[in-house]
Amino acid sequence: MKLYCLSGHPTLPCNVLKFKSTTIMLDCGLDTTSVLNFLPLPLVHSPRLSKLPGWISKDGTINLEKELKDCAGRVFVDSQPEFCLPERELLDLSTIDVILISNYHCMMALPYITEHTGFTGTVYATEPTLQIGRLLMEEVVNFMERVPKAQSATCWKNKEIQRMLPGPLKDAVDVWTWKRCYSMQEVNSALSKVQLVGYSQKVELFGAVQVSPLSSGYSLGSSNWIIQSHHEKVSYVSGSSLLTTHPQPMDQSSLKNSDVLILTGLTQMPTANPDGMLGEFCSNLAMTIRAGGNVLVPCYSSGVIYDLLECLYQFIESASLGTTPFYFISPVANSSLEFSQIFAEWLCHNKQTKVYLPEPPFPHAELIQTNKLKHYPSIHGDFSSEFRQPCVVFTGHPSLRFGDVVHFMELWGKSSLNTIIFTEPDFSYLDALAPYQPLAMKCVYCPIDTRLNFHQVSKLLKEVQPLHVVCPEQYTQPPLTQSHRSDLMLELQPPPMPYRRCSVLNLPFRRRYERVYILPELANSLVPSEIKPGVSVATVSAVVHSKDNKHTLQSVPKPPPVAPSKKRKRVMDEPPVVLAPKPLLSGAVPLEAFLATLQKHGITEVKVEETADGHILHLQAEDTLIQLEEDGTHIVCDNNEPLRTTLRDLVLRFLQKL
Amino acid sequence: MDRECVSLLPRVCEVLAASGSSLPDDTSLEKLLDWFTGLTKAGTSLLESCPCLLEFISTVVHNTALDPSILSFTLRLTGFVAVTEVAFKVLQESSVLDLVFNLQHWQEAGLWEDPCIRIGWIQGLRTMMQHPKALSFFVQADFLQPLLQLQTDKSLFVASAANQMLAHVLLSCQSVSSVGSNDVDEEGEDVGRSGGSIADLEYSAVTVETNQDYAAVVTAISECLKKSLVPRENTQLHQSLQILKLLALLLAQTRPPLWEKLLQMVADSVDELLVAGYSQLILPLMDVILAAYSSCDVNRRAPDQRVSRLLSFMLNIRKPADLIQAAAAFLRRGLHDLVHTAQSARVLLLPLDIITGLNLLTTTDEQRFLMMEQLKNKTSCISLICVCLTNTPQMTLMAADCLPCPPVLIVTAVLSLLKLCSGDSSSPSSSSSGCREVSRNVIGSSKVQKCALDALTALSGSPGVEVKLAEVFTLLVQCLDNPDSDPTVLQKSFQALVQWMSVCSDLSSITDQHRQDLLQVVRKRSCDIRWEVRDSTVEFLGRLAGVRVIQTTAEEASDASVAVLGGCCFTTPLLRAALQDTESYVRASAISALAQTLAASWQQGAALTQEQTEIVNQLLEVLSWDTEGFARRAVVRYFIAWLSSMSSHSCVQSPASSSLLMPSVRSVLSRGSADLDWEVKVHTLELAELLLDEAFSGQRGYTKGNPTQTHPYAVIPNTLHTRTHNEEDVVGVLNSLVQWGVVSALLSGLVDCDRPVALRACRLLITLREVVCPLSLGALDATAAMATVARVTCELPGCGWAREIRKMLVMKAKDANAEGGVSGGEVVNCDDCGEAGQEAASVGGQTPCVSVCEVLRSLDLDERLDVLTRSSDHVHNSPLSLLQDILTASSARSQPDTQQEVIADCY
Repeated sequence: MKLYCLSGHPTLPCNVLKFKSTTIMLDCGLDTTSVLNFLPLPLVHSPRLSKLPGWISKDGTINLEKELKDCAGRVFVDSQPEFCLPERELLDLSTIDVILISNYHCMMALPYITEHTGFTGTVYATEPTLQIGRLLMEEVVNFMERVPKAQSATCWKNKEIQRMLPGPLKDAVDVWTWKRCYSMQEVNSALSKVQLVGYSQKVELFGAVQVSPLSSGYSLGSSNWIIQSHHEKVSYVSGSSLLTTHPQPMDQSSLKNSDVLILTGLTQMPTANPDGMLGEFCSNLAMTIRAGGNVLVPCYSSGVIYDLLECLYQFIESASLGTTPFYFISPVANSSLEFSQIFAEWLCHNKQTKVYLPEPPFPHAELIQTNKLKHYPSIHGDFSSEFRQPCVVFTGHPSLRFGDVVHFMELWGKSSLNTIIFTEPDFSYLDALAPYQPLAMKCVYCPIDTRLNFHQVSKLLKEVQPLHVVCPEQYTQPPLTQSHRSDLMLELQPPPMPYRRCSVLNLPFRRRYERVYILPELANSLVPSEIKPGVSVATVSAVVHSKDNKHTLQSVPKPPPVAPSKKRKRVMDEPPVVLAPKPLLSGAVPLEAFLATLQKHGITEVKVEETADGHILHLQAEDTLIQLEEDGTHIVCDNNEPLRTTLRDLVLRFLQKL
Repeated sequence: MDRECVSLLPRVCEVLAASGSSLPDDTSLEKLLDWFTGLTKAGTSLLESCPCLLEFISTVVHNTALDPSILSFTLRLTGFVAVTEVAFKVLQESSVLDLVFNLQHWQEAGLWEDPCIRIGWIQGLRTMMQHPKALSFFVQADFLQPLLQLQTDKSLFVASAANQMLAHVLLSCQSVSSVGSNDVDEEGEDVGRSGGSIADLEYSAVTVETNQDYAAVVTAISECLKKSLVPRENTQLHQSLQILKLLALLLAQTRPPLWEKLLQMVADSVDELLVAGYSQLILPLMDVILAAYSSCDVNRRAPDQRVSRLLSFMLNIRKPADLIQAAAAFLRRGLHDLVHTAQSARVLLLPLDIITGLNLLTTTDEQRFLMMEQLKNKTSCISLICVCLTNTPQMTLMAADCLPCPPVLIVTAVLSLLKLCSGDSSSPSSSSSGCREVSRNVIGSSKVQKCALDALTALSGSPGVEVKLAEVFTLLVQCLDNPDSDPTVLQKSFQALVQWMSVCSDLSSITDQHRQDLLQVVRKRSCDIRWEVRDSTVEFLGRLAGVRVIQTTAEEASDASVAVLGGCCFTTPLLRAALQDTESYVRASAISALAQTLAASWQQGAALTQEQTEIVNQLLEVLSWDTEGFARRAVVRYFIAWLSSMSSHSCVQSPASSSLLMPSVRSVLSRGSADLDWEVKVHTLELAELLLDEAFSGQRGYTKGNPTQTHPYAVIPNTLHTRTHNEEDVVGVLNSLVQWGVVSALLSGLVDCDRPVALRACRLLITLREVVCPLSLGALDATAAMATVARVTCELPGCGWAREIRKMLVMKAKDANAEGGVSGGEVVNCDDCGEAGQEAASVGGQTPCVSVCEVLRSLDLDERLDVLTRSSDHVHNSPLSLLQDILTASSARSQPDTQQEVIADCY
């Protein structure tokens, strides 16, 4: 069993598991942090960005004025942003049989994998994962295609040149494999390969393994996966949460008794407690609005935003924010808000019960009804006519490199009354803000990551007790910035097996058993004999028939009845005589009784020697040795066949025959 | 004793002796006993005043078929009856006593199994044992053994009572035998301590023979202590525990000969127990040792060698958890023992030393190692640290030579612990891996944080810690800013901040950056999503305004709110925003905080600002419209604060400020006295009282506050008599009181259905009457003397409280007429205040006016005060009512057909 690790990102995993002749890809997360190296894509012409000076190396030898721009001491690529893809050279992606998706954040690289690689398999995902994943992809494609950039910068990627570049650009890895965003057509094609599954639904893969998604409690339709054969069980834990937010709670008990547990998607903010952050979010928001400023919340259009809106719904009154407008701007805003309300069966119990009242599960419906929350596909159109300040705007993309958020950054960045509150944990807020410097606007970082923290995960692992744990290497040591926090790492016995990008792990367990079916008529013919109370054994002679990874024992075909022939039988045609198999022996030879029997048969001079495995009996007069061991008995008796036979029969007396 | 009660008692006894099941409720017997206790304490001889009790006891004690609760009651009652020697003799002669306390009697009846009989037996004996005769009875009946057995009874109450009883017996024996042996010098010193309970022992009655008996009792008890102290096996720990409790009681109260003897007897067993090291017994053991130790301390004897040795042993136990407990127990006693105090301090500081790595003290490696191992376990780490922190403030108050390090270092350690809790990396302990393992246990523990903050708050008073102010300030602001801090941690951080600023008072070390950080965090927390946090923030703003500090730049005292937050311009807008909060507690706190913030400007007589007018309007709105009592109460208190600050600084009273204050006070009085919440009304009356004080201060006959509460011999300040009685003055003042609405508020309070309101109003009205128209002047004199004052009238509108007052006046007038006194017309000044008059008045839309003086004189205020002073259930709770209840219940039970059972709602 092998695990190929195609992504080093702990929360955006992409691993391939080879298990019992199947090749299963677990998630295909897209590392979008690469876009932080690019200049933002403004929706309207930005004089500030267009006036940024080009970059020339200090000694003037390298001139990349066209490709690289200098902003407040940092260099950015002036081109359509590009993403860092999962590794594609480690194994032939066309051999992948299935892709299992755990949540909508972990499927953003799907088009890169399913298109143009020869992939012919199936993708399994839950319905909300597919639908919301589609929305997120659509949103990114829309953001990118809305502001096309003709220029595509490539010179800076030259290894020689890249080495000379400053700052983060110099250290960016695999820049040649970075790719521009996919098109809507590729998205549609990729998503057409998705087959929907429900929680705990069992899907057979070629009869060899069974995969089944379990609720992971992290987002709508998010799942962990169980991959099992008859005798082995692998659990794949991706983004999971034990907090009571909107999704169905995590199914922990089904993870028990795993041979291997692949653990990914722990919280990226182990020191930031989501509750505390939510509180921080609300108080900073209220503080800004009271002071007459605007609040900008760069966020994804699905996920935490539902919780933020729910929290604000309760907070608005107590903070006297009743009259402040809340805007949600995204090409998929409407769909996201409405989809969330219809996936009732994927919600936590509390919200599910509301459906029967009948009441919308999420309170944002009421915010929309009372006109406190308004949503628009973009800043163009209706929004501009209804826009009132001070207000709160939720919009993407959280990287601040594309989407409507870029516009608000340009609009509000100059005033210290305004505040930008980061809630998504995926991007470093300082890096996100870098191309907007100098910035007067206040910045508040309240990353809300509801995924498991180290404390919760150790408790979980104690409970489900997997034999082996495999995890990204980041989880096996404390975070770099807080090396003293030994509580922020996984400490397990045996220690977890770490992986990094491009690792290939041999998973440390051997397959020892295989299930074999026996046909009824063959079973009928067996003659079981009881070897100890409750345990019976029978010998079976049969033919193994293997097909689709299923093994069946069939009766040995009888020789076809000889057709009456007038020809003389030919000796050669005789079927070989099947000899009745010798009986199998079981049991142990009791030493004392055996010696007594020997004595009865006149063998008196016996020297008994104790060995590690049993005893050696030296029949001195006969110059014969009898080795009695746990798994075998040997009679060493040269040139005295009658004695050997006698001794053999004596030994056999003490053993059971089948 | 009440004659009526005496007459009812025989019948009650009959009822009880017949059957106890017909009692009105299960507390009746306890109430009866309470009554008897009161009577006995008052010196009444029960047998003399209620001879029926003797018969009752002898009847009941023979009837073992009765309800055990009645039997238990009888046992206890017998104790009360036999408390005097005379009665004891009577009981003994009628051979009742022997039977009542005869164990066999109860055992044979199968009643001894019932714990209520056992406890009745113990308590009866205990009550009786106040004279040597009772003691002899106890000794001769050989009750000691059963009592010792009861000490480990399975019922905790019985066991505890037996323990108390044993101690009582031993102490009684001690007093008697010490007299017998003419140990006079001890007696004089200890009469007070050996318990008033045996003060009336007749020492002379003790014979040599009985003296020997007592000695035998003492020996028997101490033998038992010695024998049972060390448990034979783990299951007997309970017995050891009981013995230790008894021992602690005894060692604290006995005097030298006995004390010595006891100690001598048990010393070896205690030693053995110490060596065995049962963790559950550590605290009781420490209690014993400390009881012995403090008994030396109190008597100014040199500490006994054995006790000192035991104590040293305790403070050197190898189990860290036990050691910490022992040290904490020692420190809590506050004994004058430098050596052990210093040792305890070292023990208690060790966990803090290890976890912070600050080298607070020098200890042996072994101790350090053992403690470190213990600290590696998360649960015990947190509890040890908390014990340690709880004791740190006390340690820093100790003499400097007891402390292993200066208090400043302890503050540093607490600060560094707080940093660890928030996961801060800058702790010096991060170097060693053992410490890292320990410090990991406290990361994120809000329990430790709370304890540490409490300790930090208390440490603010320690000598020489002022230098730490800036550091403390920084850390507390960090705590306040931390998104993960829970509401209690935030509250405690705010409290600590106020405390440190109020103690240090010199804020020169606080930089502008500190101030900015605090401003930012206060602003954020005032918008917090949790109301508790908003509440603590608002409270903090108020408290800060009350702290006087010195800023060295100007060497000028100001309040801390001005010094660190920039004063009103920052706080007032925040507080005004908090007035709109959805949570009433926050609104209430905001109002109080506003009062504290503005107090300075009131006192300085600063000119009125637009903002103040707005605030007052906002507050009046809260008083009228707020749905929650807390906020409305706070509004009234706001005006009380304002008014009292104005009157105490009347010399600088700003006319501008009064021009806003007085009209608002009028509204507050009228709205407050019509409120639905009784506390708002009481506060409103307090405001009215302030106005009375203000109006009549210096007026003859006016006593500030409650007239009935003044001590009869109190020295009345001369100033009260300086101003001559000037009728014109009184008229003017009374007129203004009427105009402000004080009189209406008081009258409406008087007829309020809430007793505290009515009581307070009544007292104030009496005060007013004494100044304006004292009753000491006869009716005719009064009319003549106060002709002008009587002209002051107030309105009595036709609704609510005024209707009540009118009714009372009419009744009074009718009574006066009936007595053939002066005509009723003069009572009420309006044309005719009969029913017809009232209607006419209300139909005509006029509000009738009455003379204030006449109202005050006619309302029978003193009688009313009398009624109001008694608690509302005084009738219900009287012994008479209890006896009647018992009788009624029994008659109801005996005639079930004729009377329906009363079903009462019991909540």
